[in-house]
Formats: sequence, C-alpha cells, structure tokens
Amino acid sequence: MFPAYAEYPQKCRFEGQDPNEKILLLLRAHPITNLSWILASIIVFFVPLLVPRLALFLGFNLAFLPQTFQLILLIINYLLVLIIVYEGFLYWYFNVTLITNEKVVDIDFAQLLYKGVDLAPLTKIEETDSVTAGIIGTIFNFGNVKVQTAGANVAIEMKNIPKPSLVADLILDLAGKPHEHILGVPKV
Amino acid sequence: MEVTATNFLNSSYVLLFGKGAILLILIFYAIFSLIIIRQVDLMSKTLITNLSPIVKAFAILHAGFAIGLIILTWGIL
Repeated sequence: MFPAYAEYPQKCRFEGQDPNEKILLLLRAHPITNLSWILASIIVFFVPLLVPRLALFLGFNLAFLPQTFQLILLIINYLLVLIIVYEGFLYWYFNVTLITNEKVVDIDFAQLLYKGVDLAPLTKIEETDSVTAGIIGTIFNFGNVKVQTAGANVAIEMKNIPKPSLVADLILDLAGKPHEHILGVPKV
Repeated sequence: MEVTATNFLNSSYVLLFGKGAILLILIFYAIFSLIIIRQVDLMSKTLITNLSPIVKAFAILHAGFAIGLIILTWGIL
C-alpha cells in the first residue's frame, strides 16, 4: 500500500506531468527509517502510565489534580501521539523521488511550511553517486543517491532510498538508453 | 490555616491559570492543524495518488478534533 520502491507505480501522477510522460520508478525513504518517530510515539503513549508512578516514587501524589484536568491532560497526551504519528507519516509519504522516461522529479516535504520540487531532465544528467553507510543501512540495503547534472554541483539528492546502487545505475542507464528495456519486462 | 501543596494547587486562581494555559496550547494546536490541512492539500496536488483523498480527509478530521477539544476544554474546565 505504501511502497518505498515501486516500478511502474499505478494510479500515481505528479503536478506538471506531460501527457506522454510515464513514471518508471517511485522512491521513498526505506520504511525502517520511520522507526525513530514510531518509537517516540510509543514512549509518549505510555507517559500517562509512567508519570503517576514516577511522581509517587519522587514523593508527589498527582491525585489532588481535579478529574477534569487529568482528563484533558490525558487527551492532550494522546493528541501528541497522534501528531507524532501523522506528521512522521506525512514527511515519509510526501518525500518522494519519481523517475520518469523524461526526467527525475524530487519532491521534498522537509518541514510543514516547506515544499520543494527539483526537476532534472534525463538528458542533462552527467553522473550519479550512491552511498550505503551504517549498520542499519547495510543490513536493510538503503542509502543516498546524488544525481549531478550539467551546470550544477548536486541537482538532486535522494536520502535513505532502497537499493541505492541499483537506482544510481538505472538513472545513468536511462540518461543514455531508451527506457523500455531498463526495468525488466518492457511496458507499453 | 496551613497552606499545603494540595490546597495551593486546588485554589481557583491556579486552576484558572491552568485552564488558560491549556486553552492557549490547544489554540496553537488548532492553528497548527489548519496549517497541516493547507500543506496536505498542496502536497496532494503535487503528488497525486489514490491515497491523497484519505490523507486530506484525515487532516480535516484532525483539525475538527483539535477545534472540538478547545470547546470541550472551555466547557468542562
């Protein structure tokens, strides 16, 4: 349902897509990179269970707080859990790189009030670099890919994407060959 | 009368201050949830998938919940 690496994704388009333009590959950060906000949300979820015990341990009794205050604070805590999960998902879901038969489209949603779209025509691509680093990156085979175009140092950087070396090679191949024969079975 | 931590925190001024602080946090949260709607709408137009309407609907529900919580808090605290 939420692929991080999808060849010929169905029912997926982007703003400014040309009529004859086909999306060959959709890339997002590897799902394991979501672990940080998932863990944070789990910790915050259990805060209402831990705080009264911690307070008792430190010699405070929170029972003097009116029931209504306790209820509202509990709701605010779960609202915090909700926003951690929802924002974490949105950042992951909308940070996408699309490789089409014409260009590489990098959609960035780094902050809530920031939207960035980088476009690099395949014909302008000169070099690609891929880096897989760290224990988790090596185990789950994800890393960064930099795409260099003519006239720019680094035009596009894809972070924590699955199969980085394959993607780097694919982009370079697409820059020089017809796309139909790059991704396995030809598509019409 | 001896002033203890318990009856100090139960005094009406402190509870009123607590109510004001909670309401302020919830108002900021509601504004934040409205910004999320705008941003999700913008991003859904940039990346169009079959999940876009669900993500947008969730953002609207979330904002509704945030505004509803302000009213609830105003009423019960």
